[in-house]
Amino acid sequence: MIVAVSGKGGTGKTVIAALLVRCFTGMGREVLAIDADPDSNLAEALGVEVERTLGEIREEMLAKMESLPPGVSWRTTLEYETHRAIVEAEDFDLLSMGRPEGQGCYCAVNHVLRQIIDTLAENYEVVVIDTEAGLEHLSRRTTQSVDVMLVVTDTSKRGITTALRIKELAEELSIGFRKLAVVINRATPETEGRLQEYAEELGLEVAGVVPEDAQVRELDLRGEPLLKLSEDSPAARAVCGIARKVMELGA
Amino acid sequence: MKDIPVDVGLIYEGERIRKSSMYVDLAGPKSKGAELLLVVPPEEVEDGRVEVVGPDVDQMEEGGRYPFGILIKVAGEKLEEDLEGVFERKLHYFCNYIQGFMHLNSRDIIWCRISKDAAKKGLKLEHVGKVLVNLYKSEFDVIEKIQVTFYTDEKAVDEHIARAREVYEKRDARASAIKDEDVDVFYSCLLCQSFAPTHVCAITPSRSGGCGAVTWFEGRAAVKVDPSGPIGEIPKGEVIDPVKGEYSGINEYVREKSNGTIERVYLHSLFDYPHTSCGCFEAIAFYIPEVDGIGIVHRDFHGVTPFGIPFSTMAGQVGGGVQSQGFLGISIAYLRSPKFLQGDGGWRRVVWMPAQLKERVRSAIPEEMYEKIATENEAQDLESLRSFLEQKQHPVLEGLKREEEKEAPEEEPAATMPELTVPVQATAAGAPVEFTITFKNARIYAEKVIIRRKE
Repeated sequence: MIVAVSGKGGTGKTVIAALLVRCFTGMGREVLAIDADPDSNLAEALGVEVERTLGEIREEMLAKMESLPPGVSWRTTLEYETHRAIVEAEDFDLLSMGRPEGQGCYCAVNHVLRQIIDTLAENYEVVVIDTEAGLEHLSRRTTQSVDVMLVVTDTSKRGITTALRIKELAEELSIGFRKLAVVINRATPETEGRLQEYAEELGLEVAGVVPEDAQVRELDLRGEPLLKLSEDSPAARAVCGIARKVMELGA
Repeated sequence: MKDIPVDVGLIYEGERIRKSSMYVDLAGPKSKGAELLLVVPPEEVEDGRVEVVGPDVDQMEEGGRYPFGILIKVAGEKLEEDLEGVFERKLHYFCNYIQGFMHLNSRDIIWCRISKDAAKKGLKLEHVGKVLVNLYKSEFDVIEKIQVTFYTDEKAVDEHIARAREVYEKRDARASAIKDEDVDVFYSCLLCQSFAPTHVCAITPSRSGGCGAVTWFEGRAAVKVDPSGPIGEIPKGEVIDPVKGEYSGINEYVREKSNGTIERVYLHSLFDYPHTSCGCFEAIAFYIPEVDGIGIVHRDFHGVTPFGIPFSTMAGQVGGGVQSQGFLGISIAYLRSPKFLQGDGGWRRVVWMPAQLKERVRSAIPEEMYEKIATENEAQDLESLRSFLEQKQHPVLEGLKREEEKEAPEEEPAATMPELTVPVQATAAGAPVEFTITFKNARIYAEKVIIRRKE
């Protein structure tokens, strides 16, 4: 099952994605985490280090193509390099997409890369993709079929309208998704109910509400991985609830 | 499959064995290895034999990493050395059919893994070898005998890698020499039709796609792994013009896939029916009428061409899947093609290119032309270009085109006729007649002209 976590910058979407990875591994699932947002750092939130991103590999590949011997195909080389770039943590794997491409033609490379990632993704029970609100990575490089698209919003009315826009954008970019649901992050008792109502008015399903959590704030402040968050923290508990809901939605 | 402790089948293709479920790592980025398939005389193959030089899986330590080599020897009456590469590529697929066995890449950059589950079931390299013998023989009738050797002993792997590299090098040298006339099938790529709907990229040994990513060899590999993908086969058809590079097969294919918009294509010329340009080409070849020469500019060059416009502006005018007279989007690799714009005189027609690009493809430029091609350092506009060409006595000053045609290689005449006999009557009514024969704009190549008196 492929879950994409998107949302505007600053909504805490990477925190949610990282906690989701933790919940799924806690449920005993084999998880592939894909960092597809060049502006955030899922790897850091998960406490692992990335040696090479797919963006770097893609650039190297394009530079090297001309000099590859005729008996060597860059397709299989790209597949090999992609596997090599996977960070193998104790209970999950992580792939970092890296920065967006430069000038020149990436059609052929991206086409093949999508096939490689699609094949790779089939090896895992759950794939969690942290993606930017523009969905650029999803449409061109990562995958075009998502089971559950989660849109993380802050507690503003504007945040929820963003979810609608992402839904439209995904349709425009022909990214297939079976379910789309909203995650309301850093909710307080005063905002929670009204936001839920508003989302429902717009016809958006709410996958869950994650409360403002002092532990998350503290770890963020110290720049420490969120995996250190204790399992009974309110945010972690809420996200695990969302993970279960996602399994239902994607089933 | 009988006697094999794990399943074998297409469904295991693409299997990634995760670190936590891995029994051993073979070759890979942190170790070394190579695979090699050789066509040998039948007496050198013991059919069906599988040998393991070094420890087999049951003697390997769990979680360990080992160097790894695969050597396959095949024999058969109809086998040729040229098939080695094709068969060797199959190893990747065949190995991946085995449940719990992961195989990545090719040649001397392979990476294999065996899963804990497979090891527990008793999978050994010996079994992998048996599966390979079986799959090769059932897929290729021409393989009559096959023998498989695995190396896991470090010294043996080192020797195997060295031998394999020698073979790869020889193979590549042979493959690099392949030209359009040596093959019957070309390839096409339709990936760019998303933004250039009438662009059908024709890919031949002497012309790679404009993006530089799809060569003829890559096309051949792509069709095998992704037969319904954007890359397809073009039957070559008849040769219409071997110099400009016109083939009936390409014309028919392009006509169909461009919905009738593009009727004819010259692979190696900027004029009349140039190849369409996609939009993501690495460079542009452009005709400069003022000097009757050709300029080349590539994407990384941010200055202006002698026309006063940069690459980006020109690219906007050239791309989109149309045929633009005198303009052609090309790959950098095409500059190294032996047929590079041969319909227009090839390198002898080139007058300008950015210094960085000139340096990059230096080895492809004929020595006597290198100094005669201006860069942005010598020519920034048409006037400075003209005076540079005059100073260097560039061949375009002499009306290069005619010269080139005279020098066209023997196997590629502009037009051929097995024999041209012109009966000439030297007398009319007993009186001698004076006459002249004039060929205007003729393109005739004859190896020998014989004039005989009529018997």
